Amino acid sequence: MFSGMILDPGWRQDDFERLRDDAVNYLEVALRGQNDEELAKDVLCSRVYAGHPYERHNAGTASSLHALTVARVKEFYLAQFAQENLTIALGGGFPAGFESRVRRDFAVLPLKGRNQGELPAAPEVRANELYLVEKAARGVAISLGFPIGVTRGHADFPALLLAASALGQHRMSSGRLFTRMRQLRGLNYGDYAYIEHFPGGMYTLEPLPNVARRRQMFQLWVRPVDREYAHFALRLALHELERFVRDGLTPEEFARTRSFLSKYVNLLLKTKLAELGYAVDSDFYGTAPYPEYVRAGLRELSLEDVNAAIRRHLRWEGLKIVMVGEGMTEMRESILANRESPMTYNSPKPDEILAEDEVVMRRVIQVAPENAVVVGVEQVFA
Amino acid sequence: MGQHDVFAYEYEQHDFANGLRLITVPAPYPEVVSLYIVVQAGSRNEVEEGRSGFAHFFEHMMFRGTPEYPPERYEAVMQETGASSNAYTDDDRTVYHSTMTKEDFERVLAVEADRFQNLAYPLEGFQTEALAVLGEYNKDSAEPVNKLFEVLRDTAFDTHTYKHTTMGFLRDIERMPQMYEYSRTFFDRFYRPEYTTLVVAGDVRADEVLAQVERHWGGWVRGSYECMVPVEPPPGGAREAHIEWPTYTLPYVMVAQRAPAFSDESSEGAALDLIGFLGFSESSPIYERLVIEEQSVDLLWASNADHVDPYLFTVMARVKEKERVGAVREAVLETLCGFAEAPVDGQLLANVKSHLRYRFALGLNNSEAIASTLAHYVSLRRTPETTNKLYRLYEAVTPADLQAVAAKYFGEAGRCVITLWEGGR
Repeated sequence: MFSGMILDPGWRQDDFERLRDDAVNYLEVALRGQNDEELAKDVLCSRVYAGHPYERHNAGTASSLHALTVARVKEFYLAQFAQENLTIALGGGFPAGFESRVRRDFAVLPLKGRNQGELPAAPEVRANELYLVEKAARGVAISLGFPIGVTRGHADFPALLLAASALGQHRMSSGRLFTRMRQLRGLNYGDYAYIEHFPGGMYTLEPLPNVARRRQMFQLWVRPVDREYAHFALRLALHELERFVRDGLTPEEFARTRSFLSKYVNLLLKTKLAELGYAVDSDFYGTAPYPEYVRAGLRELSLEDVNAAIRRHLRWEGLKIVMVGEGMTEMRESILANRESPMTYNSPKPDEILAEDEVVMRRVIQVAPENAVVVGVEQVFA
Repeated sequence: MGQHDVFAYEYEQHDFANGLRLITVPAPYPEVVSLYIVVQAGSRNEVEEGRSGFAHFFEHMMFRGTPEYPPERYEAVMQETGASSNAYTDDDRTVYHSTMTKEDFERVLAVEADRFQNLAYPLEGFQTEALAVLGEYNKDSAEPVNKLFEVLRDTAFDTHTYKHTTMGFLRDIERMPQMYEYSRTFFDRFYRPEYTTLVVAGDVRADEVLAQVERHWGGWVRGSYECMVPVEPPPGGAREAHIEWPTYTLPYVMVAQRAPAFSDESSEGAALDLIGFLGFSESSPIYERLVIEEQSVDLLWASNADHVDPYLFTVMARVKEKERVGAVREAVLETLCGFAEAPVDGQLLANVKSHLRYRFALGLNNSEAIASTLAHYVSLRRTPETTNKLYRLYEAVTPADLQAVAAKYFGEAGRCVITLWEGGR
């Protein structure tokens, strides 16, 4: 069945129309209509890679999908479904001779696909950009980031992996952002940091394999914040990012996070399927099997290595900032004018927090008016 | 373990004097251990007016520290262990789970024991956490299916606590910061050994786990609270509600029928599970017709979700055009009633049973999957044996049983239909 799908697709017009509808509905209903957080992350990706092939959403745009025909899809298939583009991972109790049969079956594909050329480096992001998506919503979803030159296999990858974990390990309550923004201030449901592409973050507690990319970006995910405090939350995220890059990790944070990751990577390959998925990724990046690769990298790290890598690759200016929610024209004005954004609480707070808030509420975010755009949600991936 | 048991692992089940139960499943997956702490209290237990959403809120409070482990220390310890940990709440349960390498198991077990016995948080932490819960409601509020469930339950139930979702009514969530005293009462009532079962699966020896649990959890004091959940009166006729959604969406229709409580003794629930699959899965005739051929629907599913008390058999369809909502609703109702009118093919039924059985067994392919699957059943019957009993019930269901259960539960009297489409801006 599996080889049939890849080697002999049906090309039926009615199937094509159904799947095209599904893709359009994914963009227009699921993403634009119902998932402000995933939308903010996808828009961020397309803003960070403006002018680059990664700018395009994997699902396309509503108009590109409407213009698509079976013939065009077939043309793509014939050009790209080639042996050099194919990796098959087999695991589990398959019978003798199965592997050679699979090799034989897939040998009918052409050896080489159409030359795709070199994937360019990500465009440089020098100035802050504000991209605000207006839609009716109870909260404001925030994502921000910039391209980094580090992928798995890069000498600084283990150090940055540790750094991102300390700043905001996905869906865990241990990271700095989570502690400062949610635990101490109750601003939202969670706040996390990433150095690798991480689609579908709200549906998984752990990173998933097989979303490997040749270019990566750094990003912060600030979960929906009450509109009244969204400007403050953005400032606080940048304040924390600046502090993180300037001062680096403390020795305790370093030791704890290294201990965490060294053990945590062992838990990721819990099924045969995950093991195969990670094997495909390691092949893609040209690294040792993932847990060994990460553990070996972590073992050799010092606190100074990590802090130096943070300073080399991370920053708190030159960011693409995306917000999705209601009242974005006002938000734009508020941010451009650097209006004060005082924070109020429903309970007494320690002096340390109140003093920090005094600084954060006045934090200047430099954005040129021409780099601050408000768009209606219907214009996104249209 | 019997020869034909669907739960194919040996396990040890032990009751401590204080009422705590321990279920240990030594599993053939090296180095890793999964710990699931199952509290048999969820939003079903929110019996007092104005307290909807409290069980879930309380789950958040469990991360707010004890005298020995304030939140920063708890986080530091858990981080050092490399444990992957989280928690969730639903109608009938609150579950705290961690998966870790075996060398850290006892440390995690001890820290967890401490917070279940000695939780102590200040008013300030309580009020801050209430905001994080509101943040969670806000993030979920963009999704119409959450609203559909909120309205479905509110419409379908009059007195039972299933009337509200686990997240709770917004008006109650907004009042949470004022419920500090009640939170202590909630802890005192439900965070007790007689409400709690520990499920441990992985690279462990049952005797060692028993000694470790005795050491850290043995001194926990039994409580005395019995939760009286109001009984829902029999349904008095079909109900409907409609939701106008403020942003762009495709229309939805949800058809629900009152259904029996989970049982591993009566086959009614098992028969409804099978109807859910036969009637509405991707291989069903209605899916073929509406999704593949007519292409008037792009999402279709049915669920007979296990519940401690009688709940709902629910079918949901997302319809591509508003004009088709009525026809889709009729098609769903015809499919449901069709099960009462004519028997299904015996071979087809046998195939579905086999599919469900293999799907269940193949899903238990790592320690975390074993523990998380058991956590669900343990919150209903407190023993893995209930899975074996349930799958024996599936085996015994006949085409005539499906007809009988459809005739009994798919009548108009127990029906609730909710629609949602864009409008009302």
